Amino acid sequence: MGVDASNPFVTAQFQLDRTADWLGLDLPTRELLRSPMKEHQFLIPLRRDDGTFKVFRGFRVVHNDARGPGKGGIRFHPQETIDTIRALAMKMTWKCALLDIPLGGSSGGIACDPHYLSQHEQELLCRAWVRHLAGELGPRVDVPAPEIMTSSHHMLWMLDEYETIYGERIPDFITGKPVGMGGSVGRLEAAGYGLVFALREALKELNIAADGTTASIQGFGNVAQHAARLFVQLGGRVVCVSCWDQKDGVSFAYRKKSGIEVAALAGITDPFGGIDKAKAEKMGYEVLPGEAWLAQDVDILIPAAVEHQITEENVASIRPCVRVIAEGANGPTTPAADKVIRERGILVIPDILANAGGVTCSYFEQVQSTMNYYWEKDEVLGKLDVKMTSAFHNVLKFGQTKKLTMREAAIAIAVARVAQACKDRGWV
Amino acid sequence: MGLSLPDSLSIPAFDRHFFTGQERFTAIGRGSLGGKAQGLARMHQLIEGTLAASFRSEIEVCVPTLTVITTEFFDLFMKQNHLTDLALSDLRDDVLASAFQQADLPAQLVGDLRALIAQVQRPLAVRSSSLLEDAIFEPFASVYATKMIPNNQLDTDSRFRKLVEAVKFIYASTFFKDAKNYIRATKHATSDEKMAVIIQEVVGLRHGQRFYPDVSGVARSHNFYPLGHAKPSDGVINLALGLGKTIVDDGVAWSYSPAHPQANPPYNTLDDLLSQTQSEFWAISMESPAEYDPIKETEYLKKYSLQEAEKDGVLRFLASTYRAQDDKIVYGIAEPGPRVIDFAPILKFDLLPLTRLLRDLLKLCENALERMVEIEFAMTLDERRGKPSRFGFLQVRPMVVSAAEVELRPDDLEGNDVLVASEAALGNGVRDDIRDVVYVRPDKFNVHHSEAVVVELDGLNRQLQALDRPYLLIGFGRWGTSDPQAGIPVNFGQISGAKVIVESALPETSCMLSQGSHFFHNITSFRVFYFSLSPCDRYRIDWEWLNRQPAAGEAEFVRHVRLTSPLKIMVDGTTSRGVIRHG
Repeated sequence: MGVDASNPFVTAQFQLDRTADWLGLDLPTRELLRSPMKEHQFLIPLRRDDGTFKVFRGFRVVHNDARGPGKGGIRFHPQETIDTIRALAMKMTWKCALLDIPLGGSSGGIACDPHYLSQHEQELLCRAWVRHLAGELGPRVDVPAPEIMTSSHHMLWMLDEYETIYGERIPDFITGKPVGMGGSVGRLEAAGYGLVFALREALKELNIAADGTTASIQGFGNVAQHAARLFVQLGGRVVCVSCWDQKDGVSFAYRKKSGIEVAALAGITDPFGGIDKAKAEKMGYEVLPGEAWLAQDVDILIPAAVEHQITEENVASIRPCVRVIAEGANGPTTPAADKVIRERGILVIPDILANAGGVTCSYFEQVQSTMNYYWEKDEVLGKLDVKMTSAFHNVLKFGQTKKLTMREAAIAIAVARVAQACKDRGWV
Repeated sequence: MGLSLPDSLSIPAFDRHFFTGQERFTAIGRGSLGGKAQGLARMHQLIEGTLAASFRSEIEVCVPTLTVITTEFFDLFMKQNHLTDLALSDLRDDVLASAFQQADLPAQLVGDLRALIAQVQRPLAVRSSSLLEDAIFEPFASVYATKMIPNNQLDTDSRFRKLVEAVKFIYASTFFKDAKNYIRATKHATSDEKMAVIIQEVVGLRHGQRFYPDVSGVARSHNFYPLGHAKPSDGVINLALGLGKTIVDDGVAWSYSPAHPQANPPYNTLDDLLSQTQSEFWAISMESPAEYDPIKETEYLKKYSLQEAEKDGVLRFLASTYRAQDDKIVYGIAEPGPRVIDFAPILKFDLLPLTRLLRDLLKLCENALERMVEIEFAMTLDERRGKPSRFGFLQVRPMVVSAAEVELRPDDLEGNDVLVASEAALGNGVRDDIRDVVYVRPDKFNVHHSEAVVVELDGLNRQLQALDRPYLLIGFGRWGTSDPQAGIPVNFGQISGAKVIVESALPETSCMLSQGSHFFHNITSFRVFYFSLSPCDRYRIDWEWLNRQPAAGEAEFVRHVRLTSPLKIMVDGTTSRGVIRHG
């Protein structure tokens, strides 16, 4: 393919190039959309609890804000690079456009491993990150949110720092805040539930009754747990989940053919989605190598961990019975693997659609914070379901009409909308 | 049982298109539809299959568009919000309902509700449809709540909120005190109960700030109170203007036998008719409610006067007019004067084949359920827009009959312990809770004293009502007559504690008995048993036994006895035989 599959930004640009070709975008527009409009990289020196100093690298990238203020997560991850952040920011642009949310795309983070940082150290990092970017963030500029290994706690520290700098309460500065402190009910569930809303529609489309279907999930963090919960309520059975084991430094898959008990398993899981292996074994789970999640005899695969997990090397292990892949993570499938999956006729709900529930609910939270009036959970999830369902059907219909895969159709709709916004503003 | 669908999966899934989808009867979820919705689903099939076509040119007959939230979501709602212990506790209804309002509906339900409400901007009825309703196969009329919402707010969010509140209110009503008591009486446990919820379009038209059907009604395939020429098997139809709440809760209706649609109900005088005719009607108020109260069943319902309906132009086919100068009723509303809601243009001039339709429907339902039925319906007569009348079939249920099966043969009316027997008894069922008997003394009664009798009865009635003691009342001549020479001129309020009434002819009186007609409205509403004994009947009252019982109170014309053991009172509504035994 000639694509550096290990670099998510290259993969994202490759997807954009193909879409731009298909849409026939002019050169200036392609150029504008291929790269972020703003990038910030900076160093954060931190005095640790033991008195030593360590320097961390911080990032914030705004890919495009033609359709509205930037919106994107803040990751704490040791392997963070500017390219993963660029790729995520671009995906956020497409995601917001696809869901027709009036926001642009951004992303950010700090290259660190919170497993080895105290709460106090994490708080200092959060506050430092905001101080570096205070002039570049804000409800009408760029709105951060939690992502991998950051939580509502981190968001509240960041909000507090921002409000201290500006001397006023600005609850719509950030989303993912704790409920009762400007957070929205339903936000925790939103990404996982949103995925299952889209999955439900896909199953209907394939004429498969959700009742009795089986799934295997990579990851057991927030998205995976809530997706599993709602999937089980629809009548499905999750037979395998995998996750990273911090202690052993490898990932494991936990299998129970009769179906995992989501609540019980969540009870032995740490805040980063790591399952306690010993306790899981005691609860009757088979412990398999991490990659085993992909090779299960199931109807549905849900990669809900990190990027580039389904690759050219392991795609062949996907069993023939798999009918749907719903991408809970951002960019979990490399282009080469995607080609194989397409040839096998598996329906893929692409990441920018499948995991868009999170950003949709973040948008709802920002709206509520701006009004300082908060909705009931029924209202949040009702709106989320309608947004996700209608986005799914838009993509499906567009794909069927134009003979595109779901991924191609989703990106095409999104890119066309963003390109149009850039043109309407007279940028290109 | 006839109500159950052969295959409940045959109900199509709600496709997020309420009025515009291919199906008008859909379900959300995989659980049970509950009894009411099962009945409606069956009738939807039957009506669409056969009946609708034969009336299409004059009346559009249908089950109004609806979707059912199946019991699966009730289970999830209770479980996810940890409400079971609270629901089964002794909390007050309003506290319970408030707690339910704080809970969240299941995530996979709210999307469908949001999609529904986004495209519907007319009133909706959110109705209960419980599981035991079907399992027990007993009528659950008015046990659970129904909430009508105007659903006319401009923004989707407000409409959605009101719908969600209504669904939670219906869920809460599963555990209200009356419902718990009812379930207990059926020998089931409230914990067995599950609730499906029907979201249904309201049949009606908007007139300014109110929305209501021109006609609503309740029809029964069997009449336990047949009066005049009517036979029990003819059934009975009650009609009212506006929402059916007027009939079901207020007990006001134009009641007639489908075999004799042109016969007036047996009112005593025109004054009675004027005082008992419908003077107000219920409608959905399309204005903001007086106060925000999501746990009030009637939050959006309002009563309006008949004058408002006349301004709305709906009385044309429903009313007649009292002409004072002739002291008579003239059909229609061409003349000024007090209006009588008697549906004369429809019933007397057969403007619409409503009675024929109802007869056919009752038969259809009886065959489907294999038992006596009661149906509810609402209708619009939208002649202003040149559209055919629309008949919305709202509910079918087995008739409210006593839990005990009563079947009396002629020889059951004989025996030494028979106090009273009659072959012209009204009502149906068994009572064994009456120990008090109030009777007009046969040795003292004379029609010249009938007004004095009323005073004595009124006093005793008050005493017994204050003690909450139902009683058997025995008297002579027509009860409730306005002519003191023809009987005892009480109004119903003066004998309202009587749950069983006997009217007996005295040998020297030649008057026809009222057979309950003067009080027909009250005795039907309160399900009073009514025994008539004409001079030519073979059955007599056992006065000797009565007189032997020690008096609990004795006045000049009236005697009150309190028995040590209750009377056994049985009425067989299918044969009109009744017997009271002292055992």
